[in-house]
Amino acid sequence: MSLKDIFSPFTAWGKAFEKPVTIKDPIAERPGADRYRGFHKNDISTCIGCGTCETICENEAIDLVPVEGIETKDGDSGLRPRVDYGRCCWCALCVDVCTTGSLSLTNTYTWVEEDPEAYRFTPGVDEKPWDKEEKGWKKPEPGYEFYNLNRVTMEHLEPEERDDTFIEMVKGFSKEQAEKEADRCVECGICTATCPAHMGIPEYIKAIRNDDLEEGLRILYDTNPLPEICGRICTHKCETVCTLGHRGEALSIRWLKRYIADQNPSEKYKKILNSEFIEKNGKKVAIIGSGPSGLSTAHYLALMGYECTIFEKLSKAGGMMRFGIPEYRLPYDQIDKDISYIESLGVKIKYNTQVGVDITLDELGKKYDAVFAGTGLHMGRSTRIEGTDHKNVYQAIDLLRKITLGEEVPLTEHIVVIGGGNVAMDITRSLARLQKQKYGKVGIITTSLETEDKMPADREEVIETREEGAVVNPGWAPQYIEIENDKIKGLHVAQCYSLFDEEGKFNPQCNLDNLQFFEGNMVVESIGQGMDLSYLTEDLKHDLEIDRRGRIKVNEYFQSGIPWLFIGGDIIQGPDVIHGIANGHKAARGIDEFLFEEKKDTPKP
Amino acid sequence: MSNTIFDWKKDRSMFPEPDKDGKPVVELDSQKYIKVWQGPNHPGVTGNMALELTISGDEVMEAKTHVGYLHRGFEKLFERRRYMQCFPTSIRMCVPEPDINEYNLSRGTELLSGIEVPEMAGWLRMIALEMARLQVLLRTVPGQGGTIGLGLPAQWGLYYRELILDRFEELTGGRIYHMYILPGGVRGLLPDGFKKRLEDNLVKIEAFMKEVDRVVYSNAVFKKRTKGIGVVPPEWIDQYGATGPVARAAGYKRDVRKDYPYLYYDRLDFDYNVEHESDVFARFHVRRKDVDTTIDLLRQIMAKMPEKGELRAETPNVLHWKIPRGETLVRCESSRGEYLFYMVADGSIYPRRINLRGPSYTHGVVLLEKLLVNANISDVSSIMVSLATCPPEIER
Amino acid sequence: MNEIIEHIKKRFPVYEIGEGPNGVILMSVEASRLVPMLTSLKTNHGYSILVILSTVDWLEDCKFQLTYIVNNPEEKRDLGIRVFIQREDAEMESIHTLWEHAATFQREIKEMFGINFPGSPGVDDQFLLEGWDNKPPMRRDFDTKKYAEETFFPRPGRETNDPAAYMKQKLYPDE
Repeated sequence: MSLKDIFSPFTAWGKAFEKPVTIKDPIAERPGADRYRGFHKNDISTCIGCGTCETICENEAIDLVPVEGIETKDGDSGLRPRVDYGRCCWCALCVDVCTTGSLSLTNTYTWVEEDPEAYRFTPGVDEKPWDKEEKGWKKPEPGYEFYNLNRVTMEHLEPEERDDTFIEMVKGFSKEQAEKEADRCVECGICTATCPAHMGIPEYIKAIRNDDLEEGLRILYDTNPLPEICGRICTHKCETVCTLGHRGEALSIRWLKRYIADQNPSEKYKKILNSEFIEKNGKKVAIIGSGPSGLSTAHYLALMGYECTIFEKLSKAGGMMRFGIPEYRLPYDQIDKDISYIESLGVKIKYNTQVGVDITLDELGKKYDAVFAGTGLHMGRSTRIEGTDHKNVYQAIDLLRKITLGEEVPLTEHIVVIGGGNVAMDITRSLARLQKQKYGKVGIITTSLETEDKMPADREEVIETREEGAVVNPGWAPQYIEIENDKIKGLHVAQCYSLFDEEGKFNPQCNLDNLQFFEGNMVVESIGQGMDLSYLTEDLKHDLEIDRRGRIKVNEYFQSGIPWLFIGGDIIQGPDVIHGIANGHKAARGIDEFLFEEKKDTPKP
Repeated sequence: MSNTIFDWKKDRSMFPEPDKDGKPVVELDSQKYIKVWQGPNHPGVTGNMALELTISGDEVMEAKTHVGYLHRGFEKLFERRRYMQCFPTSIRMCVPEPDINEYNLSRGTELLSGIEVPEMAGWLRMIALEMARLQVLLRTVPGQGGTIGLGLPAQWGLYYRELILDRFEELTGGRIYHMYILPGGVRGLLPDGFKKRLEDNLVKIEAFMKEVDRVVYSNAVFKKRTKGIGVVPPEWIDQYGATGPVARAAGYKRDVRKDYPYLYYDRLDFDYNVEHESDVFARFHVRRKDVDTTIDLLRQIMAKMPEKGELRAETPNVLHWKIPRGETLVRCESSRGEYLFYMVADGSIYPRRINLRGPSYTHGVVLLEKLLVNANISDVSSIMVSLATCPPEIER
Repeated sequence: MNEIIEHIKKRFPVYEIGEGPNGVILMSVEASRLVPMLTSLKTNHGYSILVILSTVDWLEDCKFQLTYIVNNPEEKRDLGIRVFIQREDAEMESIHTLWEHAATFQREIKEMFGINFPGSPGVDDQFLLEGWDNKPPMRRDFDTKKYAEETFFPRPGRETNDPAAYMKQKLYPDE
């Protein structure tokens, strides 16, 4: 210790002459830093109420509440997060996890209110002074994600490997791929409402994550008896609303479904699904058509103990799934796998039996307790332009059927296809494969009224069609087919600039100054299909209610005006597998209720 | 050092006889003793912690640490939180220096699931950890003077701490609870001009530390009151698991940053700050030197860190991040010593057990209880602060 | 390092020897051999610091795992030793004679898990939980949330909706 030690502390007096660092009251407003984690802000028009913020909140400070003026609809639960500032710790995990990026925190940090209830509020709905504040915590960018926004790439056969073969082109997920893809799911369940069959999508994806594929299969069969088929060709409306799609790529829900079905061997189905012993209830139901709706009805009715017989016009079951969809998209053995399980439940299928020809509907009505008709849309529509009566003008659906049945398919080196939907792509790609096999090269051109961006076909279908060497040239209205010496020379088209008139009616408008000629010796029309209701006799038709556009009216359980006749599938809802399945499931419940009205305690599907 | 002015310890006749173990036999009925509670709410204790002191005259005969005033059961709460949800809770286990919790928890999670953090994130973690150390030291170093009545420098220190908190606010969005380091990486790059502003602060802090030197460090009163007080015998260090400045003040070269290098500390140039007297003054001196080391480290980090880089490694979806069964040990150097997490995963989305062992667990209980015996009651808070006890870390 | 492990292996029935992700060697040993083993590590091998004494409750296996991590400051190495004991009437030998501050760990474990350490100083004194009359709270079968709901009153007016269930109720209640 020295003298210095005694005197040096007195230098503290020097501070007396310094400017104070404290600020005089009232404190001038000091904004929070740009990244400050202050009060919540939510862009409610972007928010879809997926509830991921609620899940991640470690303090249970977030509730999802209905908000006036926000409707519950496909892809939006109609709920919005409400934050309880009695619990919030401002960790901003809710912001970082937000699937739509609607949540953020502002840099405002002072808020005084006497009423404690005010501190529980719905950001974006309850107006707050900081709603306009731009600064504050936002999810850090880039490369900072709490889940993967990109899909696991599904492996396909390369165009050169697939352009001359009908081998399935999508390879399916491996275990690692499926688990990685399943890991992306945030389990919000927004998709379930949009799926026509309301499948338990988050649940079966969870089963994949837990590597419990048997549980996954049970969840699939709860609502969908055709998982192999749906796992390949479903229109996956669920993926269009997938919450991950807002900032990244939607989850590959369809491929994950396929993964579950693929991984479970068909011999174990009955054991896994616990359907080895079904008590029969003695009632009999006839089903017309073995398409998705018919099979679905049969499946759920069979599980309830009904004896079901399916009447199928053709020699194989599956309907449009087998005869409308090419094998490279949906291999026949996968259709057989799903159908054979349904058959194993005791469902009988009578092949080559056309109702209305081999047996009448009236007879069925008398012999069976109820009848379900899911006869689908199997008649191709024609453009009715000049030349369509030529023998080398075909309907896509007829050709597809021929391909499946193994019959000889008419083929030329240059073909023109009219149509912009998935069926047009299917026939284009099928014929291209056949051309490649026969001539070694592809010479096919597909045109549609709709322009590129409005084509009803799936985007990937169009891309793949082009990859395989076919030309897709949309936006043209067919004018007439040029025929010379009874031989088709090609199709004349005019540019189409508008499809619908002001009232929204289908009324294509063409620019006749911009013409084009597509060369070809064969024309295939694929502009839609109609229904064949010839099995309905006039007597029966009299009892049915049929609307102006020729659609039969049914109640919510697909019961028609004739109580024992249930009608569903494409003829009611338009062409879609998953709708057909959902119809079938509901019709099965309807039939069960109809036949056991008195016995309400009958097990329901 | 001999104490010539008040040599109150010489005449022991007034004090009770020790028994054969050297412990005084305390009979409260003899009226020679008073029980005094220092804390749980007392300016002389660190945090909410109570010392039950049995005193005779002004000498402490017996001391007992009481904790539990803060217990919020964090280790239990972790059992029902996903791995990603743990870090905002973990920081509350040490309020003054929360970043070490975030770091240990994140590192443990990454180790158990085999994730490597991008280099940039590693450097940013170091910035956060060193800034956190600096802001704690800015409280404890001048604060040591506060325990013996030199309260003024402690107040000044708080201002300079605020400067670092400003930088934290800029970088992390929070002043006290930064929630910056999270499993997989960090939550933000350095804002524009951050390095310049931090450097300005460091210059100010260096100037301030010179003042502290004059007013506290070379202060006759301070020296008189801290030298020879609260001596931790060097053989106690291992026996009681004392770490950090306490161990270094006893002549041990112990620093997790050098002994078990984590992040990129092995790329930085620094040394152990060692003293030998092992008393309150020596511990203060070690911390004082730590301030300089930390400032130097911050400068080195800013110079050596990359300009650009990834914030966060790709992790599984945080909502169902499962970690296979396994256990690990993660440690880092806090301002108070070795800070250690023992983590056990059981294959589910929730951790099975996260156990924190902070330096205060021994410093604040066994070591403090031992050091306070025969200490003057006016030195109690001085000894306590020199051990830097932090009750939330004991009770978790 | 391997020498020590070999040495320990010879003298003590250790099993499940493995390296943790951080390079920490962990091994399991019978409860009865723990104290001799720790004594040997401390006196002969320089493992002079008891870093942590931690407990893991394996409710499903009806076992408690006690982990003793010791540190050799010279070689800068850690060694973790696991001991599995029965969950029923759990009891373990005290190691306060080796490290005095183990008594603090043991006192806390007694309170939090209900594992007794006979002879450990102050093991029955309450550490954190004054006036606690429920089961030891760190046990897995103590449900914090249930306890909180029973003990405290929830704030009124809080309700939440599951998006999927809410959409079903709104859009397709009958299906």
